[in-house]
Amino acid sequence: MKLTRRQFLKFGGATALLVSGRLPTPALAAPRPAKVRWTKETATICPYCAVGCGIIVGVANSKVVNTEGDPDHPINRGALCSKGSSVSQLANSRQRITKPMYRAPGSNKWKEVSWDWALDEIAKRVKETRDATWVEKDVKGRLARRTEGLASVGSAALDNEECSLLVKALRGLGVVYLEHQARICHSSTVAALAESFGRGAMTNHWIDIKNSDAILIMGSNAAEQHPISFHWVTKAIEHGATLISVDPRFTRTSSKAHIYAPMRAGADIALLGGMVKYILDNNLYHREYVVEHTNAPLLIDPKFKFSDGLFSGYNPSKRKYDKSTWAYQTDSNGVPLRDTSLQDPHCVFQLLRKHYSRYDVDTVSQITGTSKETLIKVYKDYAATGAPDKVGTIMYAMGWTQHTYGTQIIRASAIVQLLLGNIGRAGGGVNALRGESNVQGSTDHCLLFHILPGYLKTPRTSDETLDRYLKHYTPASSDPKSANWWQHYPEYAVSLLKWMYGKNATPENEFGYQLMPKIDDETNYSWLALFEAMYAGRIKGFFAWGQNPAVSGANANMARKAMENLDWMVAVNLWDTETSSFWQRPGVNPADVKTEVFLLPAAVSVEKEGSITNSGRWAQWRWKAVKPLGDSKPDSWIMNQLMIRVRKLYQADPGPDPEPVVKLAWNYGPGEVDTRQVAREVNGWAVGDVKDNKGNVIVPAGKQVKNFTQLRADGSTACANWLYSGSYNEDGNMMARRDNTDYHPASIGLYSKWSWAWPVNRRIIYNRASCNIKGEPFDPKRFVIRWNGKRWEGDVPDGGWPPGAKHSFIMKPEGYARIFGAGRADGPFPEHYEPWESPVKNILHPDQSTDPAFKIWKSEMDRKGDPKKYPIVGTTFRLTEHWQSGAMTRNLPWLVEMQPDMFVEMSPELAAEKGIKNGGKVIVESARGSIEAVALVTRRLQPFRLDGHLVHQVAMPWHWGYKGLTTGGSANVLTPPVGDANTMIPETKAFLCDVRKA
Amino acid sequence: MSVGMLIDLTKCIGCRGCQIACKQWNELPAEKTHNRGSYENPPKLSDKTWTYITFHEIADGSRVTWVFAKDGCRHCLEPSCASACIVGALHKRPDGAVVYNAHKCIGCRYCEMACPFGIPAFQWEKPVPYIQKCTFCEDRLDQGEEPACAKTCPTGAIEFGERNDLLQTAHARMKERPDKYVNHIYGEKEVGGTSVMYLSSVPFNKLGFPTYGPEPLPRYAHIAMNAVPPTIGVVTVLMGGVYWIIKRRDKMMSQETDGVTEPTEKEG
Ligand code: SF4
Ligand code: SF4
Ligand code: SF4
Repeated sequence: MKLTRRQFLKFGGATALLVSGRLPTPALAAPRPAKVRWTKETATICPYCAVGCGIIVGVANSKVVNTEGDPDHPINRGALCSKGSSVSQLANSRQRITKPMYRAPGSNKWKEVSWDWALDEIAKRVKETRDATWVEKDVKGRLARRTEGLASVGSAALDNEECSLLVKALRGLGVVYLEHQARICHSSTVAALAESFGRGAMTNHWIDIKNSDAILIMGSNAAEQHPISFHWVTKAIEHGATLISVDPRFTRTSSKAHIYAPMRAGADIALLGGMVKYILDNNLYHREYVVEHTNAPLLIDPKFKFSDGLFSGYNPSKRKYDKSTWAYQTDSNGVPLRDTSLQDPHCVFQLLRKHYSRYDVDTVSQITGTSKETLIKVYKDYAATGAPDKVGTIMYAMGWTQHTYGTQIIRASAIVQLLLGNIGRAGGGVNALRGESNVQGSTDHCLLFHILPGYLKTPRTSDETLDRYLKHYTPASSDPKSANWWQHYPEYAVSLLKWMYGKNATPENEFGYQLMPKIDDETNYSWLALFEAMYAGRIKGFFAWGQNPAVSGANANMARKAMENLDWMVAVNLWDTETSSFWQRPGVNPADVKTEVFLLPAAVSVEKEGSITNSGRWAQWRWKAVKPLGDSKPDSWIMNQLMIRVRKLYQADPGPDPEPVVKLAWNYGPGEVDTRQVAREVNGWAVGDVKDNKGNVIVPAGKQVKNFTQLRADGSTACANWLYSGSYNEDGNMMARRDNTDYHPASIGLYSKWSWAWPVNRRIIYNRASCNIKGEPFDPKRFVIRWNGKRWEGDVPDGGWPPGAKHSFIMKPEGYARIFGAGRADGPFPEHYEPWESPVKNILHPDQSTDPAFKIWKSEMDRKGDPKKYPIVGTTFRLTEHWQSGAMTRNLPWLVEMQPDMFVEMSPELAAEKGIKNGGKVIVESARGSIEAVALVTRRLQPFRLDGHLVHQVAMPWHWGYKGLTTGGSANVLTPPVGDANTMIPETKAFLCDVRKA
Repeated sequence: MSVGMLIDLTKCIGCRGCQIACKQWNELPAEKTHNRGSYENPPKLSDKTWTYITFHEIADGSRVTWVFAKDGCRHCLEPSCASACIVGALHKRPDGAVVYNAHKCIGCRYCEMACPFGIPAFQWEKPVPYIQKCTFCEDRLDQGEEPACAKTCPTGAIEFGERNDLLQTAHARMKERPDKYVNHIYGEKEVGGTSVMYLSSVPFNKLGFPTYGPEPLPRYAHIAMNAVPPTIGVVTVLMGGVYWIIKRRDKMMSQETDGVTEPTEKEG
């Protein structure tokens, strides 16, 4: 028998083969023969961006000696960008910390310590802080059972299983200041997409880009941030697709675009609003789609109004809307009224037309600075995908999310895509490009204050009983055609409680509901709030798991200063970062900083086993290649050891309220955590016999549930995350599957037996909307699903009912995608507002220039810039060669070699005005601080003429800080401390600054 | 049969996966660099950097384009480096790769001077320095595997294959999209043809590619070399022959800047 390469690979391939049942076809690339340099190969997934490229790790003598693209991986097919290509240097880096370290109060150095000592000491501090800051009841005497003295951030760098453990540990301890990267990168995505379509994630997936006829990349620089996406963008272009790049800077993405539209940073809603108007004025919308799949025909309360930049119901003193007029008109059964002719003046369609009637090309051009010709070109080429057999995709990222109105920019794109009939389709979608290898997974596991795994809601103190909690969050619909999938909320919530508290969760004690920490109704505990609380000295103990907020958080000087007010900090990382070393940052005397700091060395991705979820929702398994370097340990081990110790302390000395901690189901063994066991918990299992509604046992006790349809609200099932139910069932570890055949009959590239995608392995969500109500695909050549008279073919349908039986957007109670989105804080239709700091007034409504509903902080470090002093628009970006706060990449010589210094891009016009030379040193200053950088004078930036004013713009990467092989100014020192009205994601993509020669 | 690479600059996104994949596979260290007001780094090829991406901002009125071009050994069909090497350290393999045997190298740097593309680089920091350059990943070719840079390229900008097939592909692409490509496959004919060839949407001289005719340079170099016995003692004498090549190269470069695209044949 000929030995195939797959048989050569020794990464638990046996499991993979059993699951897939067949050998993967080696059709993707030439098979790579065994090299003499190494003796073992394992498969892993790139630890950087969320494209999720496969990497083969070659190991010799227990050391990583080679890493290169996995030729069998259907997304990257052997390719890797510069970051992915450098993973071998990451694994072997001498810059990594390999021993636990301790910095005593006031000390100016690190001291090596033992794991036992560090863990014991941290456990003691956790208990002391928890007990000292314990809030058993709120002011109204309702159970709260939380601590506001402990906070934790991170991490999208953890595996799913580790995220799951961390949620359990932190919620178990009563932590409510619980945040991570997702807040500051894509929280507005979740708010916008869940509101529009029902789920908060990228609608399609990377390979699907190849199916597009038009690709609009806006608020994203995909060629630089997600380089392998361009494998698929290039494929689409080769098939005739048009690529449009809208960006304040001409980027590596723009270099490949057919149309490049320069736009002033922050003017996105104006540009997209103009597109909505263009589509409506020219009748380019996909009428059948709009009528059948969206809420365009639904009638809205006649009292709903919009004038002078405000929707009806605004309360200026609270900066909040009373949304009672933003409601559907309903019949006597409570079913929303529809006018399928789209003529009723109160139907969403007509309200939309009216709202965007102000967004004519002249006005838009005055706001965005884009020329009218270019705007029309963009509109025309993109709106052409409104034809039923044409499809367009939108790729976006932080350029959209990080604004005070970030949610509304994404909402605007959702409206465009719904009008053009591009959601649920192959080659369509609103594709949120996520930037961290597992930020989708960490979001799904909800390391965020306001949600629990699977996007369940964190209980509020007003949700006094489990009953009330479930009623509060389980939506109802009286429309028999609405699937209203969230009606299953109780099944998911009770299963989650069973996972949290195990045997201690019984029907008698509300399944342990009262052991959960509850947050205050009116208090926000998100990222900015967390650092405000830390600055105010209310937070005493702080965990940073694989995250570096001293560089990545907006208004970084404040975050750094806030850390000085902590009693103790635990940083778990590969490196000594700007965060763990905040006490020895430039300009600070360590003797003045009393914070104790523990720095714990974590294992890198190739040193442990677990799953991560890419941007396209594929949960992919990574195998362990080598042992952790030195004394570093997987995060799961660290969490487990800490919890074992904390629980022991509570058994010895109970303190004020030990119950939530000791009743937690924490049984992960005394040593290494078996992450497969955790993955099985995430999938969910039968605690008792699971019965159908006739009383027949469908899952016997002890077995894994097949998927979430087998979860129950009666306590017979436990599940750590209903969304991942189906990922590790009795068929095995579905995330480890490596069958790279495209089984879809139209070869649209679903690769449905490669890894596993949530929900229930559906690769393109909302796919019922790819067909008309007879189940016929709008685009038969590139169909996603189709009804063959008996059943659906193709992708896993978004609900298996026959065509027409249910409305297509099953996660929305009304069953339709929302063009009118009443659930958002700042309006049901996106409206153009200026950034908090803007050089110009809002020409649509100068008296309501900015978004009316975001929170404005008031500490002395929350300074706002005056346009007279800071006339230049600043924006931040990332590079291919570095990643996030730079902690990982600024420690790798190969990447540092390519981008060695912090720089700022500016136009030749601005440089001439300021006497700045290309390559010279400059100072960039905002109201919050100033940094030094190298000037990169380039024609890729240009000044804009906005309503008669000449406005300059500068752009900076935000990867630099004061640690690592290359150091430099952190762009986030300049960025403002305000956030989105819905999610408080900071507005780092448009602010005011000035620049001068250093 | 001879292998080659077709580098289609219209597909390159400048991700520099190739630049790092080369260092990764060949275990080359990083260089100390600084930002000179450009993304391009390191500033040039060296013993530690065998391939790198050059960045070209090309302004055309108010329109700007940004072109990324991979630089590195072209694996000439008739390599002047090999002809210039007096100890036979460099040679062309039957499959087309121009490789060297470090043990034979005496560090005379003739190849560096002879190469029309300025590729071979000297290990200035080593006590016993050798010449270094791209080997076409010969150790990968031996395993039936494509070079690391070609494998890692996300967009297919670097295509590895039979040189003849690649030429056909290139011609087909130009024929299909005359609006997109300049009518020139760089390396099809230059200096007698090279294994690494390029397609572009902007004229190659705007990207700093030297302009050469189809005449292979080494023919002359070879004659010059063979005129005297290849021993170290006669290095100075040899310089005369090598000097001729360098002079010719410089002359051609200056012609290019004058806008002359085809150097006259038989000159000198
Ligand atoms: S950083 Fe992203 S695009 Fe680059 S190799 Fe890794 S996963 Fe792929
Ligand atoms: S490009 Fe230069 S080094 Fe490479 S084969 Fe040709 S002459 Fe030799
Ligand atoms: S890997 Fe390909 S796309 Fe990336 S820089 Fe190199 S040639 Fe260009």
